[in-house]
Amino acid sequence: MKSAPFEHHQPTSVGEAVSLLESLDGPTVLSGGQSLVPMLRFRLANPDVVVDINGIEELDYLHEDDGYLKIGALARHADVEHSDLIAEKYGSFADAAPLVADPQIRNRGTVVGSVAQADPKGDWGSLLIAHGGEVVAHGPDGERVIPADEFFLLPYDTSLDEDELITEVRIPVPSEREGSAYHKLKRKTGDYAMAGVGVCLRFDDDGVVESAGIGMTAVDITNARASDAEDHLEGERPSPDLFEEAGELAAEQSHPESDEHGDAAYKERMVDVLTQRALGDAAERAGVVRRTVNP
Amino acid sequence: MSETREITLTVNGTEQTIDVEPRKLLVHAIREDLDMTGTHIGCDTGNCGACTVLVDGEPLKSCLMFAVQADGSAVETVEGMEDHPDAVDDLHPLQEGFHEEHGLQCGYCTPGMIMSGKALLEDNPDPSEAEIREAISGNLCRCTGYQNIVKSIEYAADKLADGERDDAEAVAADGGVAADDGPAEFDGYDVDGDGEFSCGAENCCGGPSTDATHRGGDER
Ligand SMILES: Cc1cc2nc3c(=O)[nH]c(=O)nc-3n(C[C@H](O)[C@H](O)[C@H](O)COP(=O)(O)OP(=O)(O)OC[C@H]3O[C@@H](n4cnc5c(N)ncnc54)[C@H](O)[C@@H]3O)c2cc1C
Ligand code: FES
Ligand code: FES
Repeated sequence: MKSAPFEHHQPTSVGEAVSLLESLDGPTVLSGGQSLVPMLRFRLANPDVVVDINGIEELDYLHEDDGYLKIGALARHADVEHSDLIAEKYGSFADAAPLVADPQIRNRGTVVGSVAQADPKGDWGSLLIAHGGEVVAHGPDGERVIPADEFFLLPYDTSLDEDELITEVRIPVPSEREGSAYHKLKRKTGDYAMAGVGVCLRFDDDGVVESAGIGMTAVDITNARASDAEDHLEGERPSPDLFEEAGELAAEQSHPESDEHGDAAYKERMVDVLTQRALGDAAERAGVVRRTVNP
Repeated sequence: MSETREITLTVNGTEQTIDVEPRKLLVHAIREDLDMTGTHIGCDTGNCGACTVLVDGEPLKSCLMFAVQADGSAVETVEGMEDHPDAVDDLHPLQEGFHEEHGLQCGYCTPGMIMSGKALLEDNPDPSEAEIREAISGNLCRCTGYQNIVKSIEYAADKLADGERDDAEAVAADGGVAADDGPAEFDGYDVDGDGEFSCGAENCCGGPSTDATHRGGDER
């Protein structure tokens, strides 16, 4: 099926894009298009005006600045996958990037577009939650910073206004004793998650968990925080027992739905397993434990 | 019908100017406006990869992009392969590979597979089996079981490497020793433990893959 007809605008600066979003009636932002193009074609979305941001070069970045890892709206999944900075310092992002969709889609789809799409099966939202990340939006009234926890409201629904453009998502640069990881269960290469868990652990000098962040994919109506497991980890020393307890708490807090790929009880069990694995990787990457056998 | 816009694409090296509606997908512009039907439409949802083309050298799914977004870009489709500088006797080594190694049955996925293979070999001329499988992971084939597609791309990689070696030799000296490419004698199964299974038939499928690659974080 063809999309309904629309007007296509191609701004070349953030300022121009924001004034277009403000002045046009019912505009939709087009980024990588890997979610939006099929929605347009099946007429699940019928905007009269499309604001295509692919020509805004100032949004094409992935770098550390001012204590944050900043991912500009035009950074593609593949840019994260092939970044030396990510490979060196951001374990969870390095884990997740090659597991998002397939090579063609990663060449075109963006991290920010995926966050904006707010699909509960999207991978990046869980990492924003785990790392205490933020969404930076620009609208008629200037810049607004939205914490990840306040961003995702419902499936495909966020706290972003229609006339706002997300310019970047960002997470704090990891401290010395910090490690992160992402584990994803899927039926086959290239698929969305059946369940996914992202973890970020920060330790103090004595190897005690100072802060824990856990975000879950595809097991609730949005990307979701496993706050009970986080609370349980904080102030404790890492051990297999501790991680097992955290895994159970994460599973209890998840609300997966049964579908043709697995029933809810199975997916809950997988949240438990994936949480334990991600915690193990994160603690190992932080340099506080060394595992001798794989879990 | 909404207003059309004039766009210019350099398709397989030739500049083409067409008028398209903004809602026209790149794959439809290629097939309908440019009359190049080598690029297939399989799924319409971004899943199958039959519509894969290279845009400015990168493999993309042309059903997930509007034609106006490719304005000013270089687009490569399967039709450009035979005229490619690496092509010998009307076939690019990748096409020859799919022919020699029986890399297709119905052929529906083949143009997409070839374009993904081309992008891979340009980036990584000597890929491992795992790297080939990763590169074609966005391309579905319902017929072959993939073994022979992997072999076809390996064939092309070898052939392109040979070509380069030949070129280097031709420059260095007048002649050079031709590699012994004669048919290998039948030696049954994987007796030498090199991971290559062969049943001995000319058209062996390569047997079941025992290559259990496991990458961190991926519990497939
Ligand atoms: C076959 C297939 C498999 C996939 N598998 C996965 C997977 O395993 N994991 C995963 O996470 N994703 C997966 N995806 C989705 C893919 O990652 C998309 O790239 C992503 O969801 C959307 O990013 P985009 O840049 O393509 O955004 P678009 O499709 O352009 O936009 C998506 C939505 O976000 C809005 N938007 C985009 N950018 C902005 C912005 N800067 N400001 C405000 N609003 C904006 C758009 O208006 C639209 O509503 C898959 C997609 C396909 C087709
Ligand atoms: S037709 Fe484009 S991916 Fe299937
Ligand atoms: S040869 Fe038939 S789909 Fe691949």
